[in-house]
Amino acid sequence: MDLQYLNWKVYLDNPAEAEPDEWFKVWNDWIPDAPEIFIDVADYKHVQDGPVILLVGHYVNYSLDAGGRELGLLYDYKHPLEGSNEDKIKSGLLGTLRVAKRLEDEAGFKHKPKFNAGSLRFIVNSRAIAPNSAETLEAVKPELAKVLSKAFGADGFTLEHLSDPRQRFTVQVTAKGNPSLADLIQRLA
Amino acid sequence: MKDLDLVSSHAAAHWKTALSDRLDPKWREDIDKFELDILLKKKGKVEDRVFAETRLRMGAYGQRYDNGHRHDGNESRVIPFPTDLNKGPETKWDAPGMERIKLPWGGMSAEQLEVMAQLAEEYSDGILHVTTRQDIQLHYIHIENCPSMFRRLAAVNITTREACGNSVRNVTACPIAGVCREEAFDVTGYANAVFKYLLGHPDVQDFGRKFKIALSGCKHNPCGLTNIHDLGLTAVVRTQADGTVKRGFEYVVGGGLGAVTYDAKLFSDYVPEEEVLALTQATCRVYARLGEKKKRHRARIKFLVADMGIDKFREEVLAERAKLPNDPRWTEFLATLPKFEEKPLRPAGKGIPKTNDAAFDFWCLTNVYPQKQDGFLTVTVTLPMGDITCNQARALVDISRKYLKDTMRTTVEQNIVLRWVSEADLYNVYNDLKAIDLAQPGAASIVDITACPGTDTCKLGVSSSRGLAAELRTRLATKFVQMDEAVRNLRIKVSGCFNSCGQQHIADIGFFGISRNVAGYIVPHFQMVLGGEFINNGGRYGLATGGIASKAIPGVVDKLLDLYMTGKTKGEGFRHWVERTGKAAIMQAVADVAAVPAYDKDKSYYTDWGSVREYNVKDKGMGECAGEVVSLTEFGLKAADREVFEAQIKFDAGDWKSASKLAYQAMLFAAQGLVKMYNIDISDDADKVMAEWKERFYDTQKFFDPFAGPRFAQFYIHAHDERGAELDKEKASRLLQESMLFIEAAHSCNLRLSMGAEKGKEGILAATKSGSKA
Ligand code: HEM
Ligand code: SF4
Repeated sequence: MDLQYLNWKVYLDNPAEAEPDEWFKVWNDWIPDAPEIFIDVADYKHVQDGPVILLVGHYVNYSLDAGGRELGLLYDYKHPLEGSNEDKIKSGLLGTLRVAKRLEDEAGFKHKPKFNAGSLRFIVNSRAIAPNSAETLEAVKPELAKVLSKAFGADGFTLEHLSDPRQRFTVQVTAKGNPSLADLIQRLA
Repeated sequence: MKDLDLVSSHAAAHWKTALSDRLDPKWREDIDKFELDILLKKKGKVEDRVFAETRLRMGAYGQRYDNGHRHDGNESRVIPFPTDLNKGPETKWDAPGMERIKLPWGGMSAEQLEVMAQLAEEYSDGILHVTTRQDIQLHYIHIENCPSMFRRLAAVNITTREACGNSVRNVTACPIAGVCREEAFDVTGYANAVFKYLLGHPDVQDFGRKFKIALSGCKHNPCGLTNIHDLGLTAVVRTQADGTVKRGFEYVVGGGLGAVTYDAKLFSDYVPEEEVLALTQATCRVYARLGEKKKRHRARIKFLVADMGIDKFREEVLAERAKLPNDPRWTEFLATLPKFEEKPLRPAGKGIPKTNDAAFDFWCLTNVYPQKQDGFLTVTVTLPMGDITCNQARALVDISRKYLKDTMRTTVEQNIVLRWVSEADLYNVYNDLKAIDLAQPGAASIVDITACPGTDTCKLGVSSSRGLAAELRTRLATKFVQMDEAVRNLRIKVSGCFNSCGQQHIADIGFFGISRNVAGYIVPHFQMVLGGEFINNGGRYGLATGGIASKAIPGVVDKLLDLYMTGKTKGEGFRHWVERTGKAAIMQAVADVAAVPAYDKDKSYYTDWGSVREYNVKDKGMGECAGEVVSLTEFGLKAADREVFEAQIKFDAGDWKSASKLAYQAMLFAAQGLVKMYNIDISDDADKVMAEWKERFYDTQKFFDPFAGPRFAQFYIHAHDERGAELDKEKASRLLQESMLFIEAAHSCNLRLSMGAEKGKEGILAATKSGSKA
């Protein structure tokens, strides 16, 4: 299986404090001098159970996302990449954690986001590549576990396949300990 | 890691193979061809212009910033897209675009909605957007993902072919057709026949512009909006001599919103059902043959009908009709009409169950329509600004499967209706909707605000229509329950520019985006349009009243509603009240809340809704103008604003002659004001002003709008040539609208020049647009 279109979501520890308008402003401010190719910020705070504020990029979208009714940062890589599955999984996760860290450190927030680095969601945003099935899980698990072992330690996490067939292939990752974003970034980099 | 090709990716190949057998062969061929066009384009083998029209015909539109530039508040920056390729003139290949999904008569099965939700998730931004023409749009799509999307749509019987471009757009119809208590008959099957017959038809491939058709089941309700369409068909029945009842349509042509509104003209008060497709084909052929092809802004059929006159136009069409060889499809569809008769999933109820739930009762009041079929109801699911998330859409699919037999439709007010809900199920449906936050009350009311995409995603947006709509909706919703019914039932519609995609002309209170200069700063504004009529199929257009700063609008709306409530006589409608009170008095009464505070007092007015950038352009690039001279220009523009306002008042009083005179005079003042940039001694003589303005602004193209080109300039030239002619009400109304547009264009021209047009086109664009989305 050639994994592509990988998404990661890291949850907010303090969702009640999130102010979408602040995210809107912060992400607008990120656009001009970003090394990434960003296009615009979309405001969807009037709808539920999906994106709230979305920074649209060429390669990757970041969003303050309320999908599944839990608020977090969603990192959505939109282009197919060359390389091994392990490399792609790792680069997506590292990208997500780095953006989360940058958001935590961002001076533009009055209500600073705080992420729970111990609760992550892994999604393959392509029903063609990864139907949400037990077979996909079998195929994905070894490389996903390899990357996560590096981040959390071999026994440091549990995986749960969320198997609703109408949803995209989704795995919930829960750390046993209480890791910080910085620790994970350091271990994966 | 290196980027791979999207169009030939593994995922794309999967859909191509997996769905091949499920696609209509003709549709499959269209998609295969389009995919090939993409590949050829990538190899540099297709011209930009040609590829643009090819993709438009498949519903793939451009989106804001697709020229590869974005104004960040201080300057215009290049978006460094990886490929140099274009997908149209000045349209970058990698720039995200919008995909319009055509839903004929708004019909949508549970399976289709499920698939659209998947597409929004995988290729777009997770949002499905319902448009004012019953389509669904997805934004931020890479062109190379389109073939996969098209295949997945075609597999559930949806085509995007001719959703954009110079073609027959979606055929719309009343969302309650078939269940309506007042319709002459169900127009659904007819709308479907028109759609099917014209889709890809050789006679509709050579239009100068788009062609929009709508069907309505009756004349007095708004649902079909036939009056604002290129071609409108309203169901009528006739009793024959032998007592049998025969179906047919009132046939109107040449209506339209856009910059200058046109009322549709009556072509025939009765076209029998078996003749409708033939006559439509003949109409299309005449439009293709005689319609304007070069000047885009004169290319809609409304101009052809107005120029020819309806009688001559009718003659041409009937002659064309007489020549057409018979096509069996003209009448074959009549036998398929019973297929469109819907069935309920659940047995009829016996009255709405009584509950102690006040919120439910209130929701029933605004969102539930008793069908003509006893025991069944149509429920409106109000979508804020037409948006719904993928998870909500999937939940709606579940609701549809649980209670309905595929009887959902989209509406022109950007909502979704669930038809054939059994009365017995209503409370359960309500609770299921509530669980996914889709049980907001207020369908077709003052909080159910229509908005075009505006500066959020549209390339032509001047002001943030969605930002304003969201703000108004939030504020009005807090007072909604307490509102008097007269206020509650008003409609607000917002467009981001004069093109009127948000249909503001047929709202009680409408707005379209403009920008204005206030003491040296560009301030986002909207032109306020009052007294339009949504009823009677979009029966009467409102008239522009005056420019108001975006940030002042919520206050102005509050004041306006107060004035209406306190000033109206018993039972008096909004339009009547506007006419009786007079626009001058209304504008005067709201003047205090409409005032823009000085920049150093309140900076928030200098930023648009839904934007974070302060628009401070003071003294930026003085360009060709010196300060003192600019103020003379602005003086002239102010005089023009005043004059056109007076013209409206005369018009409202029924004095077309004075209105026309003043409307022309207003244009003259604006032109003279501009000329004063160069020649402060310009005389008041109309010919001299025209000559000098022409030399300095027309011949040099300085006046030309970056998008509309010479269009507005020509309004003035035309008015100058025709001045003194006796105008009837309709022509006077048009002159008035043209005058306003010319003056707006003069304001924009002044802004562009005072900001330094030497920065090139991007500078010009930036200068004309407000907010961070320039
Ligand atoms: C890229 C974005 C868009 C562009 C460039 C665009 C352009 C235009 C233009 C130029 C007109 C005036 C047409 C004329 O009178 O000749 C118009 C009208 C209209 N458009 Fe759009 N449009 C855009 C998006 C939309 C969207 C998203 C919708 C639906 C929500 C929409 C629906 C309409 C409607 C209903 C009208 C007026 C009705 C009529 O044509 O008779 N447009 N548009
Ligand atoms: S009205 Fe103007 S801003 Fe709004 S969608 Fe139409 S063209 Fe764009």
